[in-house]
Amino acid sequence: MAEIGTVGPTIGGALTPQIGSNKADAAVLSFNQRVMSWYGIIAFLLLWQIAPYLGLTDGRFIPPLSEIVADAGKLIANGEFFVHVASSCQRVLIGLFLAVVAAIPFGILLSGFFPRLTRFLNPLLIILGNINPFALFPLFILLFGVGEMAKLAIIFWSSLFPILNFTIYGVMHVDPILIKAARSMGAGKANIFWKVVIPAALPSIFTGFKMGATVAFLFLIAAEMLSANAGLGYLVHNASLNNYIPRIYVGVLGIAILGMGFTMLINQVEKLLLSYKDEVKVT
Amino acid sequence: MTIDSLYQTFGNIFYRFGAIVLFILVWQLACSTGLAPETFVASPMVIIKTLYQYALDGSLYKNTIISLSRAFYGFILAVVVAVPLGFMLGGWFKSFERIIGPLLTFLGQFNPFALFSVFLLLFGIGEFSKVAMIFWVSIWPLLYNASLGVKTVDPGLIKLARSMGMGRIKLLTKIVIPSSASFLFSGLRLAAGTAFFMLIPAEMMGASRGLGWLIINAQVNYQIPKLYTGTLVIVVLGIVIDYFFRFLEKKVVIWKEAQNL
Repeated sequence: MAEIGTVGPTIGGALTPQIGSNKADAAVLSFNQRVMSWYGIIAFLLLWQIAPYLGLTDGRFIPPLSEIVADAGKLIANGEFFVHVASSCQRVLIGLFLAVVAAIPFGILLSGFFPRLTRFLNPLLIILGNINPFALFPLFILLFGVGEMAKLAIIFWSSLFPILNFTIYGVMHVDPILIKAARSMGAGKANIFWKVVIPAALPSIFTGFKMGATVAFLFLIAAEMLSANAGLGYLVHNASLNNYIPRIYVGVLGIAILGMGFTMLINQVEKLLLSYKDEVKVT
Repeated sequence: MTIDSLYQTFGNIFYRFGAIVLFILVWQLACSTGLAPETFVASPMVIIKTLYQYALDGSLYKNTIISLSRAFYGFILAVVVAVPLGFMLGGWFKSFERIIGPLLTFLGQFNPFALFSVFLLLFGIGEFSKVAMIFWVSIWPLLYNASLGVKTVDPGLIKLARSMGMGRIKLLTKIVIPSSASFLFSGLRLAAGTAFFMLIPAEMMGASRGLGWLIINAQVNYQIPKLYTGTLVIVVLGIVIDYFFRFLEKKVVIWKEAQNL
């Protein structure tokens, strides 16, 4: 369920042709290669800008890009934009932090020390993780009201299960040969745990964290649209209620850019943290 | 059947369903002892009773059919558009894909919930905006998996088939589609799951029928048993859809097992 809205980076990663005999050629080519992935986006944005003038779209409903940028500039200049970004970031970070703090230690403890109990609980945890959090929205509002608590609870709940289930999976699927090898070399229990189990499970835990972060961001916006007085989701919802059309697009684009920045940051952290992991290539 | 294997089957059943049964029992117990207040939590018995009642008067059936048909139309539209497009991007127009791929990734990053306002603006609050919404969210997993599936076809197979004089259309139906089928199926499963997933908020935001409307309406009117029953139906349907596509993949992609051997 976390695959929503994320198309993997592989779509853009086709083979690079091996031409260019000297260095200058190669430099031009590699520049072209790098820029090439922007052509499509630039063309799309250009089309967006000129379509209303050509009469392809109705400028009232899909305003040209310049109008959207102007409105964004206005929001940035009076500082309102940063208030929304900050309150969105704050919510998602707190919710995600709580989920990480709850799920990772619990998952490691459960699967590392009570494998039978884990096997027993696993089907229930998977079913709980499969529950559509949207369907639970009314319940959350019923239980926690419409304040900050409900939003944090929604973000916490929705990101908890991907992290927990991937942590359990990672610890349960550590290669037994690694553990046997460490044991035969005289490693103690604590040593095996810290030096073998944790590093071996970390890639899976990180996958869970990535999915949890994606889901947390999705539900942040949903929660803010239901009830809030600040945040990017609120910005969109409020603009839509007031029929202030350029601002809807400012919010939508802001959310997309913030989400992409978030994803890039996590990928960078993963690269640093999991430098020992072999790259898995699909093609 | 020996005692041992009987014991093993019992153990398997215990591990598979034990925790779920225990969860329901604890829930029921908490409700009947008054530990969980009746004003907030409906007990499993009450949910079953409500389910029975709504099943009899047909309102549950009507809302479920409406929800499923919305999800179905959006999903089918997405399949018709995204699968051929993904095949083309992954297979035939490599350089075109290099240009359009990042754009698609960019578009796929848009938060569907935020886009909902835009969809309402463009398509109104009728059926069409909900179907368009579901179409939009189902496209991405399909597109990604279709293009990945084509890319991972063994080039040796294609060369072999071509050297034996196979035409383009036959190449597609006999080599490319069968070898990318498992990717296609995981795309279908993800897309169907996503379609049903996003249907619920779409119905919550502007609808007068459907399961999402049912639960939001129950919440507004403070009908706790109805709220829990609707939620349960949504959860069960989501799981059933997932299992259906897994089952379908097992039945259709029979050659995948042989490959694993």
